[in-house]
Amino acid sequence: MPPPLEARRLRKSYQGRVLLDGIDLALGPATITTLGGPSGGGKTTLLRILAQLSDPDEGQVLIDGTDARTLFPPAARRRIALVPQGPVMFEGTVLDNVRTGPRLAGQELPEEAARALIVRAGLDPGFLTQNARALSGGEKLRVAVARALAVHPEVWLLDEPTAALDAERADRVVGLLRELAAAGSPLLVVTHDARALERLGGRHLWLAEGQLREVATA
Amino acid sequence: MSYVTVSFPQLVLSLGLMALAMAVSWQNRLGLEKDLLVGTFRAAVQLFAVGLLLTILFRNEHPASVLGLIAVMVVVAGWTAARRIAHGPGTAVLFGYATLSVLASGVLVLIPVFAFVIRPARWYEARFLVPISGMILSNAMNGVALVFERVFASIHDDVAAVEQLLSLGATPRQAVDRHTRAAMNAALRPTINGLLTVGLVALPGMMTGQIVSGTAPDQAVRYQLVIMYQLVAAAAVSGALAARFARSLSFNLRQQLRTFEDRRVE
Repeated sequence: MPPPLEARRLRKSYQGRVLLDGIDLALGPATITTLGGPSGGGKTTLLRILAQLSDPDEGQVLIDGTDARTLFPPAARRRIALVPQGPVMFEGTVLDNVRTGPRLAGQELPEEAARALIVRAGLDPGFLTQNARALSGGEKLRVAVARALAVHPEVWLLDEPTAALDAERADRVVGLLRELAAAGSPLLVVTHDARALERLGGRHLWLAEGQLREVATA
Repeated sequence: MSYVTVSFPQLVLSLGLMALAMAVSWQNRLGLEKDLLVGTFRAAVQLFAVGLLLTILFRNEHPASVLGLIAVMVVVAGWTAARRIAHGPGTAVLFGYATLSVLASGVLVLIPVFAFVIRPARWYEARFLVPISGMILSNAMNGVALVFERVFASIHDDVAAVEQLLSLGATPRQAVDRHTRAAMNAALRPTINGLLTVGLVALPGMMTGQIVSGTAPDQAVRYQLVIMYQLVAAAAVSGALAARFARSLSFNLRQQLRTFEDRRVE
């Protein structure tokens, strides 16, 4: 069976610098992969290419064995959740935010379902009616996870999900990520947080000078 | 028709008004004297040149010369609307789209009015077609420029949110819907405000001109109303087209957001 998400020989240059120089990466079901590397070294670029927000100069991304370029872009993107660093909240309440994905597909997510999603993402049900833009960084991250859960992604890509969180909140986010993986989806998590790395486990990769290498496997 | 002629010495006397403005600038150290001086002469040269052109055109009225002049107006409007758009693909790319937006709205609005409402003796009668086209095209031009500026700038300021919508499965149209609607709204707003306040704050230029040169106010009002409705329709159509073009230009074929450098400094 092909892995849910695979990258083959990705190359990407930006302003004359080679960020990705023939990257191969396969994310198998229910696996956690963490990614580190120097800042500006191409980690975010790699996530954006995997999430279909940008194209490599060369190489291909396969979703369930199918070349992503042959898929309808919005449909391909729905299968890959991208939670960026410091996710932006859309205008309105947490409920409005969680309903965004289904609404784009012409469906109305029942309030009960939205409540179940934010609880799964680790938020108290009372948050549903709060102004999403007034939340703290950790709460916004959880709303972003709930918002992505509403479109049933098959793969999760997260950029520094524990950055700027205190140890206790970071631990709770790590617990949430482990649950997502346990539910069957592969996770690729960019992080430099040593404690999160240790608690997430899985493969740890390092991206530098365009090359990806495996550092450790828990 | 009775109208009061302005002799050349009388015109020169009106330069005293510009001297007054320059004195205000000098007194308040605004540093605008040079601009005012250049503006005084540029306005005179441009208007006399247009006056001369219109005189020649009226004497040798021919469909080709009238349409030729309007074509020049369309191209200049397109070029002007495509210039200095920050965070867009550049004037060279925008020019064609701007010209098409101005042209399409002009054609859509002018043809029915000249065919059914104003109906001059000859359809290409320059004294109707040229000034009315000028008003419509310049309004369309301003609308297109505003929509381009707003759409590209607001997407640029909101890249993270637009890309998160794309990640959740939004089509390009859904992802920038808010930006295109706000831009179209802003482009229509001045023309709508004009409709709401016309006659209360200022008498519009064309109506003023007609009344001064002897047209009965009732007729001048009717003309003005037709023109104002035309302006609204032209702003709506040109704005909608420009918004659609700006959206298409903001994404690549893989429906990924394109980013543009700030090109205001040319």
